Amino acid sequence: MGKPKLAFFDFTGCEGCQIEFTNLGEEAILALLEHVDIVEFREAMTETTTERIDIALVEGSFTREKDRERLQSIRKRSRIVIAYGACACTGGINALRNHQDDYHECVYGADARMPHLQSGPALPISAAIKVDYYAHGCPASKDELVRILSALLHNDTPLIPSYPVCVECKRNETVCRFDEGDYCMGMVARAGCGAPCPALGIPCEACRGFVDEPNLRSLETVLMERAGFSQERAIGKSRMFTANLRS
Amino acid sequence: MTDRYITEEAFGPFVNAMIASTRVIGPVAKRSTFAYEQLESESDLRLDFDVTVLPPKKVFFPPAQQLVRFDGDTVEGCIEPVDTVLLGVHFYDVKGIDMTDFLFRANYADYNYLAQREATTIVASNIQAISPRAFWDSVGIEVQPKGHDAFLTKIDGGYLLETKTAKGDALITLGDFREATAGEVQAAREVNAAVMGRCPERLAYSTDAVATRVRESFGEEEMWDELAERCFSCGSCNTVCPTCYCFDVSDSWNLDQKSGVRTRYWDACLTREFAAVTGAGGSKENFREHHSSRFRHRFMRKTTYLNEKLGGPACVGCGRCSRACTADIADPVRVITTIMERTS
Repeated sequence: MGKPKLAFFDFTGCEGCQIEFTNLGEEAILALLEHVDIVEFREAMTETTTERIDIALVEGSFTREKDRERLQSIRKRSRIVIAYGACACTGGINALRNHQDDYHECVYGADARMPHLQSGPALPISAAIKVDYYAHGCPASKDELVRILSALLHNDTPLIPSYPVCVECKRNETVCRFDEGDYCMGMVARAGCGAPCPALGIPCEACRGFVDEPNLRSLETVLMERAGFSQERAIGKSRMFTANLRS
Repeated sequence: MTDRYITEEAFGPFVNAMIASTRVIGPVAKRSTFAYEQLESESDLRLDFDVTVLPPKKVFFPPAQQLVRFDGDTVEGCIEPVDTVLLGVHFYDVKGIDMTDFLFRANYADYNYLAQREATTIVASNIQAISPRAFWDSVGIEVQPKGHDAFLTKIDGGYLLETKTAKGDALITLGDFREATAGEVQAAREVNAAVMGRCPERLAYSTDAVATRVRESFGEEEMWDELAERCFSCGSCNTVCPTCYCFDVSDSWNLDQKSGVRTRYWDACLTREFAAVTGAGGSKENFREHHSSRFRHRFMRKTTYLNEKLGGPACVGCGRCSRACTADIADPVRVITTIMERTS
């Protein structure tokens, strides 16, 4: 049996997750290529494929109806589909538009009515196709992707944490943002990143989406009581990466 | 097992002499608070700390600890204990370490913890500053701190070092100590007695009364739902606790897909997946599915379930959980008081 075939596909997004993968560096990528064949990867190679794929890494959110067909075609010829990065997993930051109607004018001014700008709500790719695994984050963590791929190469189930970022901050003995008079959303944000932002003094923005069953009422209260947010800001804050996951 | 005195001027050189001969871990400043870290110089040491983010158990039971490395057919252990002096442990954390010592020794002795524990000399120190959420003078007061090798108390002009074991005695040669006078011993006793009763929070009930009432409250679901209403299930109350000892183990592969490492991580029973299990035929079950049942479980563990084994509650009153809880609902004094008051 040959090496499993791996392909990257991009939808609505900045393609930063593909770039992040290249940040693994030459040595690590060449080592990985001993075990997989990369057959399509727009940010790093010209070749494309219409063949069957073992592992499809789908990046970007689903924002146009015509993307559905392409997503379905990828699903049909892929053994495993991984939603790769925040946009594919939850709609990501693109989904902020789902709650606004004046963004075309704000962003594009006179060009607001250009036809290619017309698109629907930004949705996770799971709105169009079945997803087997999620590589969360903005950008998706390259190290986590390697862990997921390694587990799949060993016919194992990848361990993707569902506990919140607070667990990782404590393991790192990071001083809590709230203790420093700041805000944070690590209490409801899915971990797995290793909590680098709070360790650098930056609040967690929940780029990996929410944990299962986030206590959003409590989040609003804590952001208001401890970080001094207005109610509007408390609600809006947690929408940045998770607009599709809340009302 | 003696009482020794060292002047303030000679204390710094003593700490530096320890650093020169072994790894020394002690409280240092970390942003707005404190943490146990390896000391590079005596000037890093902050014996005036109130409480650290994580308890000192992390020295023997690290948040992430590599257990074994594997490479094809070979498997080798990663546990390599390093001779260490753990300097500046408040008495409540000495009690916490004594509890994890017991728990990791019980039944199947846990070498991964005990190897580093046995390679460590613990020097306790008196409390010079009191954390705003502390209640160590009113919880489990019948449990005496033990298991440390020496106890250091700052008195006028210097320090009294009371050694408890041969490991503690061995430190004396590293500093300019002399035998303490009866007056100095008495002064240290007074310093340590003077902090008792000064904690900002106070648990007004005995260990036994709390244990009985909390256990009895198990079925009072409405109360537990109310107590846990704001809970995020983030596990911070667990991950900062000096007596929590649950862990999860997982394997990871290196890029060669042949070698890898087995690691254990601190786990937290407040998190949603902690009690999730797979049953026969791949069925899934979570035996503490609701956040209030997880919240209740923590209080059962801390106030009643382990009491017989530990000789007291599995809580030492450090107040770390109260501080770490962003929703501020984890404070044992407030929760236990609420439960106790519902009886009357």
